Amino acid sequence: MLTGTPAFASAFAVPRGPGLFFDGKSSARIDVWVEITETGLRILSVDRSVLGEWPFEVLRRQSAPEGVLRLGRSDDTVLARLELRDQALIDAVEERADALDRTGAAERAVRRKVVLLSFAAMASLMVSGIFGLPVLADRVIPLIPLSAEVKLGNAVDKQIRSALDTRHLGQAFQCGQAADETAGRDALARLVGRLETAAALPLSLRIEVVRRREPNAFALPGGRVYVYEGLIDEAQSPDELGGVLAHEIGHVARRDGTRTVLQTAGLSFLFGMMLGDFVGGGAVVIAAKTVLRSSYSRRVEGAADAYSVALMSKAGGDPRALGVILARIVTDDDEGIKILSDHPDTKDRINAINAAEAPAGTTPLLDAADWSALKQICGPLPAGRLPGNGPPMKVQGHGATPHP
Amino acid sequence: MASIDTLGPIPGSEEVKFLGREGAYWRLRIKGAVLVIATLGIYRFWLATDVRRFLWSNTEIAGETLEYNGLATELLVGFLYAIAILVPLYMAIATVTLAGTLVLTSFALGLVLLGLLGQFALYRARRYRLTRTIFRGVRFDQRGSAWAYALRALAWWALIVLTIGLAYPWAQASLQRFKMGNTSYGNLPGRFEGSGSLLFLRGLPMWFLVVGPLVIAVATLSATTDWDALSEMLAHDDDTVGVLVDNLLLGPAYRIVLPCLGASFAAILLLYPLFQTITMRWWISGLRFGDVAAASRLRWTQVYAVYLRFALYMLLFALVASAAGVVCVFVIAALLGPGHDSNPTEIAATVITVALYVVVVLGISTIYQVAVTFAMWRLSARSVELAGARALESVLAEGAPSSALGEGLVDALGVGGI
Repeated sequence: MLTGTPAFASAFAVPRGPGLFFDGKSSARIDVWVEITETGLRILSVDRSVLGEWPFEVLRRQSAPEGVLRLGRSDDTVLARLELRDQALIDAVEERADALDRTGAAERAVRRKVVLLSFAAMASLMVSGIFGLPVLADRVIPLIPLSAEVKLGNAVDKQIRSALDTRHLGQAFQCGQAADETAGRDALARLVGRLETAAALPLSLRIEVVRRREPNAFALPGGRVYVYEGLIDEAQSPDELGGVLAHEIGHVARRDGTRTVLQTAGLSFLFGMMLGDFVGGGAVVIAAKTVLRSSYSRRVEGAADAYSVALMSKAGGDPRALGVILARIVTDDDEGIKILSDHPDTKDRINAINAAEAPAGTTPLLDAADWSALKQICGPLPAGRLPGNGPPMKVQGHGATPHP
Repeated sequence: MASIDTLGPIPGSEEVKFLGREGAYWRLRIKGAVLVIATLGIYRFWLATDVRRFLWSNTEIAGETLEYNGLATELLVGFLYAIAILVPLYMAIATVTLAGTLVLTSFALGLVLLGLLGQFALYRARRYRLTRTIFRGVRFDQRGSAWAYALRALAWWALIVLTIGLAYPWAQASLQRFKMGNTSYGNLPGRFEGSGSLLFLRGLPMWFLVVGPLVIAVATLSATTDWDALSEMLAHDDDTVGVLVDNLLLGPAYRIVLPCLGASFAAILLLYPLFQTITMRWWISGLRFGDVAAASRLRWTQVYAVYLRFALYMLLFALVASAAGVVCVFVIAALLGPGHDSNPTEIAATVITVALYVVVVLGISTIYQVAVTFAMWRLSARSVELAGARALESVLAEGAPSSALGEGLVDALGVGGI
């Protein structure tokens, strides 16, 4: 075994030192002596035969523990490795071989590029989401047949209805069915008829009043509109209710249900698949999607308001009644974080509605008798189906039968 | 100047050591977590590569450290491949499920297909990692059909479910035999000699403690519940979950059922470190490469200490995070206070909330990665004793690097791996 400094080494001023060599063909550990020449490293075995000449430019740093420089060759077909532990020798090699990226600057530059390109990709996704997707949805919607939209509406209707019917009223959940409610149903049909004639939709509307106390209404794809009992209670004139209905008819006419489905699918594609899954990323993606969805919804609601104003004018009603009922319904204290809410700033919406041309002496869409009948469309609940019955009865022990 | 014979460890050492310092790993993980968030996930390929380099190159076997020479760009390309395969597949499954009348059947088929793909991915990802693992200038390799493995794994998992976990030891033994039988270090063939029956006997008491209370709970329920009445109620009521909770969980047997469920859950929580100790020891002690045999002397007290330390860190983190949360609530309240009703302040409030959430989730994950994953790696490595390590010195190189498709699928499917 070679020990100490070889006699011939004293002729050179360049650093040299011990190393471990693996030739890449076998796992044998070879103790070597490494010399720095003008162009690279010379690897000498204990018997002073040359095992390899490694030029500086092909040297590549490989992962190694602290204090060890593990070198490989970029032009090698096998995985030959040279390991240096002598700090003076490591310094001397790193100084001469630029490819070893001594300061790590080259690697840092790569990483910086990754980070910056990711920012650019994110910006591009947001821009595509804000501007691209709505335009794309507008172009795709005419290609989808109305019959598909009706099917979609029917498919979601059952789930939505059972989700809304939290009191398990079943048949009685829908108003206008009982004998004392038919007058109200006829009045509603007349109100809807006026709007529907004016709107000249390519599909027929189905307006359904349900027993929910919140003042609300919404449209499903395919022409089905749900109106809550609470909205009819809140409305003080047929035109107020008509304005809300016209807004929902706007959603139907502009096919906003399908638009939402398309935009949501597009967002899921943009933000779901492209980024993949990582810890905490879910929240960021959900936040980005929520912000974008609320920006779509602002646009969609604004357009439906404009549609309502136009339709009410055409049907001979008061286009501003929608603004009046909106102002009454939406109290300022429960608005929460508006960027995340479905409906744009109510004040902005009311201002936009009121910017419409002042109506010249309109008459209400329904006469007083019809209006009072419509207000009664949700009569008292049938006996035994009173709200507040509580949770379903428990099975009382073995052999007991439940009572309805 | 140093001389050759003062170098390094003694050849033929039979020790496995871990050289990495925990502080360095904390830095690596924290910096990585920040960049992963900043790049919305893209950086995870670079982080995974850094982590593997660190863990591999600090694991010393018989005097030489491992080397990981995979590249982050390979993982990125593998991920893109996986996306190209999975997007049409997801779409096909969604289309069939939505369009068909056999919704449940096609959904179940899709699930099986994804499960199969997940196992395929795990096997291929293992191949990628092995062919990027270099030791003494010679790489590891894995052959064998990933589909054959996936079918086996899926069949075993079905059996595990059917036997409420009793088949797990034999499943592990069989799958490890498949994996190690196809693994080699250069021309040194690997194999697995762990016995499923042995693991079964070691794990059986734990199984009784976890499954026993569940059996009692189910037996009590079936004895005290009027199933005809229940099915009638289910048929008449839309609120299926509510009826089930009211009548089964909170039914007349709740005095027995709830404590049983609690006992089972507590057993899982308390016994998990012991389970991990037993399976880890069993696995390491079954590993063979030619004449080289590994054995582990991992002690359960060490593993419990790891989890206790993790629990302590989590407690401290929870305190810090709640304090930060309170501050944030005040800041948001100030931003959203009366007279500050504008969009920019709302966006700021949203951003603060999301940022806090992300920091908390990332903090938990980072603490887990260091306090548990890293600690377990270090413990397991240090617990290994090698016999016949001299055989490691005369291995001939074989094999070639494989593609990172499996890694990409593992990432896209979220089935895990280091």
